[in-house]
Amino acid sequence: MMNSEFDRRDFLKVLGWGGTAVALTGCGNGMVESGKETVVSYVETKDYMIPSVSVYFNSTCAQCDAGCSITGRIREGRVLKLEGNPESAINRGKTCGLGQAGVQNHYNPDRVRAPLLRTGNTGEAITWEKAYALIDEKLKGVSGNEVAFLTGGMSGHTKVLMGNYMDSLGSKNHFVYEAIGPAVVRAANKKSYGVEMPRFNIGKARVVLSFGADFLGAWVSPVNFSQQYAQFRKGSGGHQRGVLIQVESKMTITGANADRWLAVRPGTEGILALGIINALGAHGVSIPGDIAAAVKTYDKDRVSNDTGVSAEQIDKIAAILKERTPSLVLAGSAAEGYAHGSQNAAAINLLNHVLGNVGKTIEAAAIVPFPQMAPLTGNTAALKALNDGLAAGKYKVLFSYGSNPVFTSPAAMKYKDNMAKADFKVVFAQYLDETALQADLVLPLDSALEDWGTQVPEYMAGNAQINIRQPLMEKLHADTRGMGDILLTLIKQRRAAEYKPFDDYYGYLRAAVLQNKAALGGANQPDNDIFWNETLSKGIIKFEGAKHASLSVKSGAAGLTLPAPSAADAEYPLQLIPHVNANLRDGRNTNQPWLQESPDPLTTIVWDSWIEIHPKKAAELGIVEGDIVEVTSKSGSLKVQAYIFPGIHPDAVSIPLGRGHEAMGRYAKGYGVNPFQILDMIYDKETGELALHETRVKISRTGNRVIVVKDEGPVGGNQEGQKIVPEMLTNKVNLSKEI
Amino acid sequence: MSITTLFENYSEFRHRHPDGDVPHNPYKWAMAIDLDACSGCNACAVACYAENNLPVVGREKFANGQVMHWMRIERYWDHDGSEFPERGARYLPMLCQQCEAAPCETVCPVGATNHTPDGLNSQIYNRCIGSRYCSSNCPYKVRYFNWWDYPSTDNVWPAEMNMQLNPDVTVRGKGVMEKCTFCIQRIRGAESDAKTQGRLVRDDGELQTACQQACPTSAISFGNLVDPESRVHKQWMAQQVELNKHEQAKDEEPGGSDLRGYRVYEWLAPYPSIMYLERVRETEI
Repeated sequence: MMNSEFDRRDFLKVLGWGGTAVALTGCGNGMVESGKETVVSYVETKDYMIPSVSVYFNSTCAQCDAGCSITGRIREGRVLKLEGNPESAINRGKTCGLGQAGVQNHYNPDRVRAPLLRTGNTGEAITWEKAYALIDEKLKGVSGNEVAFLTGGMSGHTKVLMGNYMDSLGSKNHFVYEAIGPAVVRAANKKSYGVEMPRFNIGKARVVLSFGADFLGAWVSPVNFSQQYAQFRKGSGGHQRGVLIQVESKMTITGANADRWLAVRPGTEGILALGIINALGAHGVSIPGDIAAAVKTYDKDRVSNDTGVSAEQIDKIAAILKERTPSLVLAGSAAEGYAHGSQNAAAINLLNHVLGNVGKTIEAAAIVPFPQMAPLTGNTAALKALNDGLAAGKYKVLFSYGSNPVFTSPAAMKYKDNMAKADFKVVFAQYLDETALQADLVLPLDSALEDWGTQVPEYMAGNAQINIRQPLMEKLHADTRGMGDILLTLIKQRRAAEYKPFDDYYGYLRAAVLQNKAALGGANQPDNDIFWNETLSKGIIKFEGAKHASLSVKSGAAGLTLPAPSAADAEYPLQLIPHVNANLRDGRNTNQPWLQESPDPLTTIVWDSWIEIHPKKAAELGIVEGDIVEVTSKSGSLKVQAYIFPGIHPDAVSIPLGRGHEAMGRYAKGYGVNPFQILDMIYDKETGELALHETRVKISRTGNRVIVVKDEGPVGGNQEGQKIVPEMLTNKVNLSKEI
Repeated sequence: MSITTLFENYSEFRHRHPDGDVPHNPYKWAMAIDLDACSGCNACAVACYAENNLPVVGREKFANGQVMHWMRIERYWDHDGSEFPERGARYLPMLCQQCEAAPCETVCPVGATNHTPDGLNSQIYNRCIGSRYCSSNCPYKVRYFNWWDYPSTDNVWPAEMNMQLNPDVTVRGKGVMEKCTFCIQRIRGAESDAKTQGRLVRDDGELQTACQQACPTSAISFGNLVDPESRVHKQWMAQQVELNKHEQAKDEEPGGSDLRGYRVYEWLAPYPSIMYLERVRETEI
């Protein structure tokens, strides 16, 4: 950021956008001389707008649900770059690559620009008045039970409006769906610790033992965890550098940073956890009676045999966990993705009880004192329930927002066909994605950088906070709307009198915030306008000293059983691991070209999908890099290029999620394959969640071969004896003494 | 001077900057990158695309080696014959090392790449004729050539995407070489602001490169190496890495030193301005 002697400019640097328009010029990279572009001067500029001087506005990133606060740099009315807001306890001024690409979601050339009404196979652009009238008409004579509303995770005031709209319809059918959310872990945490999402103090732990929790990549709140990780590596409280042990069948970016990465046989994570508890007992750690009984038969020889992790390694893990406290044990997506995912997660969580980590490195998170705004988190069981209802013809009108189930559900679920059974389908979308293409009416949404809103993050890193989302610039397209505005208009169709005072969502939001001014930190500010502008300028409402949830210390070992490792399957010998890439996630961000061209951290592949195969397995099957292989499950098959990858268990193969779009836009469509499509419909026994890692496949060569497009050199990541990235051991160096 | 003398004392002849009579004053921009903190997440590289108007070249041009990422994450495996990479992968953010005796500078036929008084290896786009000698001579392979006219190429900056372009940074046309500038637009802005106010650039976050600003693990520090108060200066001092030497204290006790600081290809004597800190692995597990 630039500084100058003018205090006034400092004052204006971060300020609230008073809901008013700002002139927008169309200066592109064309030449004025050639007449391609015209420079339009400001006839009347805002006071703070000085040509060539940037202004900064705070808002909240919407690229994932972690809720990082961002500061947008705006010049001449255009948002140019997003950087982290240092005032947020979640991201403390930092962003990930996904967050950086938020501007490409905003300026994306493939955004829907007008409401589209289906006529046959084409969409006809209509006005918003007509669209709203159509919804009103279609809802006439339809009972609340016949309306279903599918959304992604929601929180804040849009969630409140959403609930009120469902009430006004007399419907209880709000389905909250997240394709790759940690739903099983949430349920297991609730049982083990009494809360779904505690605070994980990675920075205070001396040892982190992670069972497939990709906390540096795509898990829960990666930017927060990355900062904590840096602190953990430096060593805190005079201690030595923290030790990371990662147990998983396919190496994630977190695994790539581990001091010891252990390739566990797929699905046996829970067995290993119980084996480690058993070994801790043998090392003299006192184990409560019920837990000791549960782990009695998990001696290290049996566990080693079941999991493929050597008995010596189990002993070493037990020794280091005993010696260095506090530690932290995490159950992540690799452990929860099985039919026994809940049991796996429960067994892993037991370790924290045994090691006394609960209350130290696992703490209760702060709670925002407005329960109606608390996040509604999604899961796949919700989609299954909706799908069953659609299949039975229960719903006449279907609304769909914030998710793309046609892309992210297994083809065997037949969601696309079932969706067609609803008479009238409305999809709120920024892109014509696979789900929007099935709609009768598509309503175009504002980007997150043009919209108003509030967000309560699910993972609360520090004090409780509500994040503010405000427009960073004038809308790009005249005919897009914010979800809050749409919901408000729809509610007015049914409860006009109640919502009459609010002209728009901005007005609603402002009124709602001012109504609770005292509770939101404005007790000493008599002037509403000043308080409102200050709130917008900060971008965060903080609750110092807000209450924390309380943890329960029940270990819950009773009744914990784990199935034996799955027997070899001659027909489908390999476990398919659909990998969550930190940038592409469930595929909603794939049309952002920076992310397509950002190499995968493990394979360095760009713009395409691949299947990872261990060198041993590849040699056995006669597969080399670039071979196009056919991957077949019980539910379907796909063809994809092979990448020989050492960081995967030989009994497993892995394909990244997020690519393989058949629609959505020019940067997404036609690149790679979609492994969601070939997943078997197997569910976790306790929670009913889709078991993402439970599909088994066979692979065969097709005879075709391609050159894999990747960033690593032709020697495939070999330093060839040169000291490019050397390594030291901890007995040689003490990081806590460094600057 | 015989050719033998020249080769024997090559580093002496080659090493022009900083000479005792032309010290870096008041600025020498430099970096330190901690590889034990770096997780290889690529946030820095995407931030660089956002800040510096880097074109997205697409699958086909990427396959032809025409990618324009000024900053890339190199990933290495231990090739020790074991079944699994149990010590993880080795990551290294690679960008222009802003060498003091830059191999690229000496071979440019038109002087398009040269050294600035504040220690940057600069690239003058409108002087570059595209001989690409500099790229051939760069040991780090961090120079990127515009084989295409990206501003007019389909889907690089289509309508609306072009509105994101940073007006402080030139959009490069076909036929010129480009590379990491240490975010020179930010450096010049901060230097000029400081000068107006009669002070030096502060080491308090006033000036950050885009990659440093984004880095979720704060692995990158950047600052003025000749400012004794700067974090970068302190880090280089603590690691006993000296800018104008190509053998450091660490090299004197191979295998025995507790120093982590090193520079990539130090023995080639390009005197890079980026010090890396070695990654560390636990002995007990």
